[in-house]
Amino acid sequence: MGKNVLLVDDSSTMRKIIGRSLRQAGIDFDNIFEASDGLEALAVLESEKVDIVLSDINMPNMDGISFLREKANRPGIKNIPVLMISTETGDDIIGEAKSLGAVGAIKKPFTPDKVEEVLGPLL
Amino acid sequence: MDYRQKIIDSTVEIFTSMIMMEVESIDRKVEEHSHLQHSISGVVGLAGAFKGVLAVHLPKELAMQITSSFLGMDVEEINEDVEDAVGEIANMLGGDVKGLLTSSGSDIDLSLPSTISGEKYEFQAKKNAATYIVPFKCGSEEFTVELQIEK
Repeated sequence: MGKNVLLVDDSSTMRKIIGRSLRQAGIDFDNIFEASDGLEALAVLESEKVDIVLSDINMPNMDGISFLREKANRPGIKNIPVLMISTETGDDIIGEAKSLGAVGAIKKPFTPDKVEEVLGPLL
Repeated sequence: MDYRQKIIDSTVEIFTSMIMMEVESIDRKVEEHSHLQHSISGVVGLAGAFKGVLAVHLPKELAMQITSSFLGMDVEEINEDVEDAVGEIANMLGGDVKGLLTSSGSDIDLSLPSTISGEKYEFQAKKNAATYIVPFKCGSEEFTVELQIEK
């Protein structure tokens, strides 16, 4: 059975680029779900089978850190891995994300090779 | 700190790795903008330990070419896709500048990106800000990246 991914970014352009990068990296998902902020992401996780989440940090309504914090409190979805894809690269904020359960981080801008390098071992 | 070189490095990396378009910096000093014409600007604000603004100013035609390359589809007018793409370029540039100004990243906040566009508009420097404007060439078009940091 194939895997499903959820892309969380307030930029629709960036969601399309991440999807394109996944294809270019040879990483195939059965379904690519999209959300534009943490609130939408939580709703998708509660209603769809998602194997991994790729999430931005700076977003309106609910940012990536708040999303991780809220997700950690929901037993049904708390174990779904989240990989951060963000312009944020500071040790403090990435450290906070990892302390809340993020499994890694990719800095924007990125290449398909970088996506494969980081995401590949997680699948 | 060599802000100009960092702007050049970041801009070239973004264009080559994500937009798949070649750009090169132009060795010309730009002190301030005259009126921007037929352009769109992507803007992010910096707040906290360093206050300022990072903006990318693109001719509309180039902004549409960039969006077409970003999305892999023809774009023939300034629409939400173009505004989103230009804002995301500013966001990535802002993230790089933030990383240059502080290693931890926790003492500078980056605003969500916004865009300005029009047939003729001004993008004025703050009175007490150091301003760095770097011109670039992309195909037959030119654009600028501007960083203002309050002193």
